[in-house]
Amino acid sequence: MELNPRDIVPEFWYNIIPDLPRPLPPPRDPPGADFSRIDLLRDIMPQEVLRQQFTVERFVKIPEEVRDRYLNIGRPTPLLRARKLEEKLRTPARIYFKYEGATPTGSHKINAAIPQAYYAQAEGISAVTTETGAGQWGTAVALAASMFGLKSSVFMVRVSYEQKPMRKTIMNLYGADVYASPTNFTEAGKRALSRDPNHPGSLGIAMSEAVEYALKQRWKYLVGSVLDVVLLYQSVIGLETSTQLEAVGEEPDVLIGCVGGGSNFGGFAFPFLGHGTKARLIAVGPAEVPKFSSGKYEYDYPDEAGLLPMIKMLTLGREYVPPPIYAGGLRYHGVAPSLSLLMQEGRVEWREYEEPEIFEAAKLFSETQGIVPAPESAHAVKAVVDEAMRAKRDGERRTIAFNLSGHGLLDLSNYESMMKRFKS
Amino acid sequence: MRKLVVYDTLGFPTPQDFLKFSEGLKGAGCDIYEVGLPPKYAKYDGPVIRRSHQTVSKFGDLSGSLKEAVEVSKVPVVVLTYLEEHLDRLREFLKSLRESKVEGVLFPDLLIDFPDQLEAVVSKVRSEGLKNVIFTAPSVPDSIIKRSGEITDMFLYYGVRPTTGIPIPVDVGALIRRVRNMVRSDLIVGFGLSSESDLRSALRAGADGVAVGTALITELEGRGVTGGLALVRKYREILDGA
Repeated sequence: MELNPRDIVPEFWYNIIPDLPRPLPPPRDPPGADFSRIDLLRDIMPQEVLRQQFTVERFVKIPEEVRDRYLNIGRPTPLLRARKLEEKLRTPARIYFKYEGATPTGSHKINAAIPQAYYAQAEGISAVTTETGAGQWGTAVALAASMFGLKSSVFMVRVSYEQKPMRKTIMNLYGADVYASPTNFTEAGKRALSRDPNHPGSLGIAMSEAVEYALKQRWKYLVGSVLDVVLLYQSVIGLETSTQLEAVGEEPDVLIGCVGGGSNFGGFAFPFLGHGTKARLIAVGPAEVPKFSSGKYEYDYPDEAGLLPMIKMLTLGREYVPPPIYAGGLRYHGVAPSLSLLMQEGRVEWREYEEPEIFEAAKLFSETQGIVPAPESAHAVKAVVDEAMRAKRDGERRTIAFNLSGHGLLDLSNYESMMKRFKS
Repeated sequence: MRKLVVYDTLGFPTPQDFLKFSEGLKGAGCDIYEVGLPPKYAKYDGPVIRRSHQTVSKFGDLSGSLKEAVEVSKVPVVVLTYLEEHLDRLREFLKSLRESKVEGVLFPDLLIDFPDQLEAVVSKVRSEGLKNVIFTAPSVPDSIIKRSGEITDMFLYYGVRPTTGIPIPVDVGALIRRVRNMVRSDLIVGFGLSSESDLRSALRAGADGVAVGTALITELEGRGVTGGLALVRKYREILDGA
């Protein structure tokens, strides 16, 4: 059955909160707080975004202006069947992937940037700021801001800034100012630089800088992952996938995605939970940042400086410094609260893989399907390969669906380095 | 008749004025008096209520004030306190409340941090001769809200915001309508509910009453007992007129 794009892009986002098996612990101010971080959110975020952060409606209407932009950037993204990968693996499993790399910025991040920029502009804000690690979120904010005529500034983790000059070029092309974090514009940046003048930066520090800068400039801060509202916006991925799978008469047995903060995984998989799926859900992360296996489920700050309210999540600690693995988007210390809760309850399984295995999976996918996955998304690919082999062992024709959250065409220097290191 | 639940922190603004305020509540139109024990960690309290905790921490042991407040207020008293702080000696704690002639107890962290202990705690509270006031929030799933509505004794307390006293933008009406359809018990709405328009939307959406705290603490800080009681009367008028 041929579907019109307008029939696939949903009219409502899906919110998992009312369907969770137990109450989601709310954000908190820390003991003995000198100021209320929850109150501060009112200055930091666009009002409507904040309202949606605390909404409990299952379905939230997507404003027509936002839906138009989704269509305009090429949504729905394609749902493709990885037939050549299936053949190569000689698996009876059918493998489908949602290709979020097909958006102009090359990843799913644009889905959450568009609504936030839209609400900021609708509230009369003139400029926005954010942080970026690998550069995907910063690129998405730069584009969304320019779509709605907003100025934007992006704090980019220094090590990525130096390793990925082309990411900065794209953001500049979209009209954003890009700074290597830590900077000396903010107290958080100055503190980091005083500890180490050559500080490589971290996502937590960049986040603290962006929040502080937004407060100082009276701009708004756009949030890229972890908070529930971002998972809400990303639900377009799963809602589209569900419609697309239905159109080809498929129901998934396994749903897979990689996890940095949890927004692409939640956006992809949660709408299926809303439909009452019986599918197994698998979240994938790097063994080098072992938050699934070693993280604690407790209240922690999403940002390094502790300007944002504490949230209950699986976390390695806000001061955790990740090793310099290539999958920059997966180096974050925590997991979104709703996803953490579902992992605690055992509804979502997890896998952690090491860099050489990820490289092999990325190479296999590139060779068979022609798409170079983002190193982050290659984690999902690795789990898919394992599940496809398991289906083969079990002799079952399972349907595996995964989110290919972005392409890796701007990560080629990383792949180059991996090819040298992991030459087999 | 719609119920007005008034919050004050035990001993605030001073032990003497706390009693004076307690004494005037019934006449000002308060139906239920919610007395907060200053916690070690005020998990869901906003800056104003936290400040009141700091103020009363200077006054030393206030357990006598609780008993006196119950006597002079002549309305049912519900004690608000975090379960986390009493888990070790819950029975002794509940006994001490009963000895102070307190009517009910409300643990705002019961469903959030100890959802598996809901039934056990509810029975313990009853076995000590006290009534339960279950606290629910928007992030509580439907099934648990329904169960809470069935087992709460005095009323179901529904906190519409993640913390007290901070006007995070929420759709008060929509949040309440969702719960109203699920429970038959009295539904009292509070937590960050202070503006007149919030109060009116809460009542229109089907709340049986409202709980007010932060605004009263601010008034008690600024204008003392007279100001506090005047504000209680004003809330009573809104409830009766709406």
